[in-house]
Amino acid sequence: MNTTDLILCAVAAAALDICAMVLILSAYIDRKPGKRYWKHMTGGMELAETGTSFPLGCDELIIGRHASADIRLPDISVSRYHALLTVSKGLWTITDIGSKSGIFINGNLVKKAVLRENDVLSIGSHRLVFRRRREKNE
Amino acid sequence: MNNPVSYVFSCLFVLIAHGAMLANVFINGNYDNISQPVVLAAAVLLLDVAYFIIMLFFRQTSYAVDFLLILVLNMSVIFQSCFGEIKFSVKHYITAIVALAACRGGYLICRDYKWIQTKRKYIYAGVGICMVLILTLTGSRSMWISIGSSTIQPSEFMKPLFVLACATSVTEQLNKKKVLIFNVVYENLALFGLMLAICLLQWWCRDLGSLPTFMGIYISGFMLRICYPKAKLSKKTFAFAGAALLVAAIIAMRMAPDYVQQRLHSDIWNDINGDGYQQSQALIGIANGGWIGTGPGHGKLCEVFAHDNDIVFATVCEEWGLLYALMMIFVLLIMMAVPLIVPPRSYYHGTMAAGVCAAFTVQTALNIFGSCNMIPFTGVTIPFISSGGSSMLVSGFMAGMLIAAISPKLDEPPKRMKMPVQPQRPRRYPS
Repeated sequence: MNTTDLILCAVAAAALDICAMVLILSAYIDRKPGKRYWKHMTGGMELAETGTSFPLGCDELIIGRHASADIRLPDISVSRYHALLTVSKGLWTITDIGSKSGIFINGNLVKKAVLRENDVLSIGSHRLVFRRRREKNE
Repeated sequence: MNNPVSYVFSCLFVLIAHGAMLANVFINGNYDNISQPVVLAAAVLLLDVAYFIIMLFFRQTSYAVDFLLILVLNMSVIFQSCFGEIKFSVKHYITAIVALAACRGGYLICRDYKWIQTKRKYIYAGVGICMVLILTLTGSRSMWISIGSSTIQPSEFMKPLFVLACATSVTEQLNKKKVLIFNVVYENLALFGLMLAICLLQWWCRDLGSLPTFMGIYISGFMLRICYPKAKLSKKTFAFAGAALLVAAIIAMRMAPDYVQQRLHSDIWNDINGDGYQQSQALIGIANGGWIGTGPGHGKLCEVFAHDNDIVFATVCEEWGLLYALMMIFVLLIMMAVPLIVPPRSYYHGTMAAGVCAAFTVQTALNIFGSCNMIPFTGVTIPFISSGGSSMLVSGFMAGMLIAAISPKLDEPPKRMKMPVQPQRPRRYPS
């Protein structure tokens, strides 16, 4: 193989490499619209506790003490799998999935309820506020 | 379109990548008539541009998988047109178009999980129909249905259906029923039964090469049940499943038919003109090609049976070089990694993406390692690169499932709906 062929092979390989990198970058840029779409679908809510906030980034989330819970509240007053949060048509619903201490929303014991902005959820000894997600720079 | 600049740049770089390959074919290729590379170039660039325009009609969160798909499909059209000599491969070009159409179909069918959840019984029925077709219409203990001069492999169509069966059943994990002393999920039992039936069918048809692909899909689906809310599998279940899998693998190795035993224990260099012919030629081809290859159309592997599907990695290595072949695999891997960058938002879409990636990874690994004599030869195809209508159609559909996972259709909130606000006395919120 002569030098020209070698250069051609290198150019073809480099072009493919650069193209692959550009497409990775393009996928990375697409994260933002993905987040925006999710925010539009779900209201961009989070559960906040003093010093901590839990973003709601999936359509089904479990709150509990267990290490595998999506929102982990490591406290003996919280059941291992305490409550399930689901979203549909822009509304978040919380369901008690057999907890021992129950779920209180604004002081009222509930089994299943649609959450409203600024609702205060009492789960065991934890108090969580259901609110709009605040960006870090806000 | 979310970001026109990103879209235009992606289009441009895909065209540049194909352009560089085509320039290599023009200057370095083995052809007698200049019209062959001209037709190839025109066809590739036309398909690129046409797909870029068609993509605009679909509103998606991300187009990254689409760009990677068209990049890899047209790469494969160029590869397949160069094996032996430069001659535009019309058949592969048509199957590439079919794969793109299947991708759009897969995206439209799989993006709405609430809808597909209601069609679960049809998915199981689809797998059943494929099995019946294999049992009745294929020849004696074969996986192929011959229609005129072409053949169809129904077992390929079971792959996306099986991924869908895994994905749609993951959200049923909370519906546990008490049977005697056990809490069971009927969907899990159905899925396990389906897996068992597929294994038996593959065994009966002597197509054990596809078995790891189905196992990969099932294991990824099984693993994701651990992540599903409150469907966590205990350590005991895990240990039991692992031990059962190990025992099954050992028994299967012991009881494997003679032709499998022969492949497992054969030395290809001692049987270079017999069973080891394809693998030994593939290894010689890879060595011949070196890092930068012999040049498009200058390879000798085209004389070996199944050079364009079963040992396609070696054929690409020989003509385009190991460097280029590895980058081709790199592009496939990026396609599978996109769901990690733009994450799916539901368990259904997550499981679907995992199932598709498992299938693609296992297939690619089996083909490459088989070609390199690191594992016994399986005859499994590399998605999008190997020739074959059924494989391309199914791979395209599965790419559509991947796109659906990152651009899902979720339940839209009603227009002008505002999140209800709790009208209460002011209280101190956590910072």
